[in-house]
Amino acid sequence: MEIKTEQFTELAKKELKNDRSRLFLKLIPPVMKGKREAGLASLPDAPAAMACGAAIRAEALSRLPELLQEFEKKATANGMKVVWTRDDKEANEFIKNLAKEKGIRYVTKGKSMVTEETALNELLEKNGIEVWETDLGEFIAQQLHLPPFHIVGPAINVPVEEVRDLFMRKIGLKDPTLDPVQLGYAARLFLRDKFHHVQMGITGVNMAVAETGTIINVENEGNIRFTKASPPVQVSVMSLEKVVATMEDALHMIRLVCRNCTGQRLSVYVSMDSRPKKKDEIDGPEELYIVIVDNGRSKIYQDVKARDALRCIRCGACLVACPVWRQIGGYAYGWAYSGPMGQVLNPMLLGLERTQELYRASTLCGACKSFCPVGIDHPSLFLYYRAKDVLGDPHFKSVDRPWIERQFFKMWSWAASTPWAWNMGVRMARPYINKDAKDGILSKAKGPFQGWFRSRDIPAMAGFTFHDRWKNQIKNKG
Amino acid sequence: MEQNVRDEILAKLKAAPKAIVPTRPHLPPYKTLSMDREQLIAEFTARLAEEAVVVHRVKDLRAAQDKLSEVAVEEGLKKVMTSTDDVISQLDLPAWGKKNDIQVMTPHEFPDRFSYRDAVFDQAQAGITGADFAVAESATIGLIHNKDQARLISLAPILHIAIVPVDRIVPVYEKVMEKVFAKKGEYPSQFVFISGPSMTGDIQGVLFKGMHGPRKVIVILVG
Repeated sequence: MEIKTEQFTELAKKELKNDRSRLFLKLIPPVMKGKREAGLASLPDAPAAMACGAAIRAEALSRLPELLQEFEKKATANGMKVVWTRDDKEANEFIKNLAKEKGIRYVTKGKSMVTEETALNELLEKNGIEVWETDLGEFIAQQLHLPPFHIVGPAINVPVEEVRDLFMRKIGLKDPTLDPVQLGYAARLFLRDKFHHVQMGITGVNMAVAETGTIINVENEGNIRFTKASPPVQVSVMSLEKVVATMEDALHMIRLVCRNCTGQRLSVYVSMDSRPKKKDEIDGPEELYIVIVDNGRSKIYQDVKARDALRCIRCGACLVACPVWRQIGGYAYGWAYSGPMGQVLNPMLLGLERTQELYRASTLCGACKSFCPVGIDHPSLFLYYRAKDVLGDPHFKSVDRPWIERQFFKMWSWAASTPWAWNMGVRMARPYINKDAKDGILSKAKGPFQGWFRSRDIPAMAGFTFHDRWKNQIKNKG
Repeated sequence: MEQNVRDEILAKLKAAPKAIVPTRPHLPPYKTLSMDREQLIAEFTARLAEEAVVVHRVKDLRAAQDKLSEVAVEEGLKKVMTSTDDVISQLDLPAWGKKNDIQVMTPHEFPDRFSYRDAVFDQAQAGITGADFAVAESATIGLIHNKDQARLISLAPILHIAIVPVDRIVPVYEKVMEKVFAKKGEYPSQFVFISGPSMTGDIQGVLFKGMHGPRKVIVILVG
């Protein structure tokens, strides 16, 4: 996937003019919010359950190296092959080589955010291996070369007319129909043939359980189950923060992820693999590879505050909560992860310099934080990233600020903590600042400050400061 | 080289500073935990209905066979694939098939995974399985996959019929996991929870059943 995080403003402006997206953004989030609320209401104590989710993820992260080793030990003992990779290149290369070695013509894929991040599809296709995304939304997005609009419904905004035209062009849909159900069945038939003959399947991983060496996938469509049951080779790609300590913890997280994502008590299918198929079993993988991907996470992990971003379980609740995402949708964020989730993850994974607008495009209202089932404090992370960026942090590739800006704030800091300088400054600056005031309001300025007024006004400076008035008062009374 | 990558990543993680971890709050128990058997059955049945699953309750395995015949007529079944798990094997489905003029296939009849795959994808009109567990919390069926419970039977055919003995209904998932992962080194290759028919809402948010897996799930509760 082409990374377009630098074009945030431009893409957001474009999306604000997209009537289809806007219509959907009006309709969908209230429905999803309602479902989520109903789902959470089925828990005996939803706030406690969310606090527990936060604790489970925080504990898992604090024990991350230990849990990964335990997971690896158990999984390996059960006959799975665990492969560690530093970055996108190593992960993709391993999978490509495996596919080549097995003479694979095509693979089916279950939705996997980490392989969107590593752009696995592009590499496989460059090497002559066809890739079929099989989650319906992901399939449509892949065929139309679109990034995910929403993490759960990646193509939920695509007009049904466009889906019809696509299916007539690409999968031999004969009767033109605008019925989403009929279109879905056409995709079912087409992809069914792929599942039937597939020799290698690729999936993501929702959770890995250290205690048992088990990987867990959560889904509604059945495409992941097919991708794991039908072919003799299974590759499951997992970013390294996915591990939790125990099966009990995993169950709690599954309850939370389903309710926060779609409002379901449980998704239609939850499948747990602990080993390749046994000899006497007729389906399931003969070889099962777990590809653990770091891709910058061990670096994020060094920073105790930023580490909280790794708690994310990709439920997508923060997207529908966010007043910004609800205006612009997922495209503007320019990469695999959109909404507040993307705003905390992308800057850490890509670097602060390539994501300048992402951690600034927030009202800091905290709706995301209040929806988050694992206690990520998004607004505080945005402020943290902003601070890191302006202070010049080489670890996360900040851009620093121009010399003149730094000097200005040095002066400001000195003046604001030096009363006589402040008072004198106020007197000197007042006539200059109030020059452009209209009816006591300042709404524009020339020079470097004009940008500040793009979305704000301030009252003009008062003729007398509080100190002046206080002194006058005493004088008059005396 | 690969060992190096592993060690390098782990070393980086180990060298990182420690963070303060929030404490876990007390969680009240799920309401299903205080239910008796009949209440669990009622809860399980009510939730199944929410998932648009058709439920029949019969008193014993003999009656289950009769119910299965009724379902076969309604659905126009001529060819089915069944598992050979401990519930199904008590039903003597080959004899049932002969009586009802239905071809009953099992995975064991196929020489390899590919011919079995052809049959389960292209020929089976329904997949019939037992259930190792049923969970009242969300009306979920649990299947342990092994030589007698192949994965594609409950997935590839458009109709999934599950025979669920009522004494297998448990209140919460934890009760299932205790048993599935009871013995170290003997974990099933795959375990799956199934809650209703395959589903999607990916085109304009319109929900429909039968995306890739079964469009319809029928549960026959026995006992």
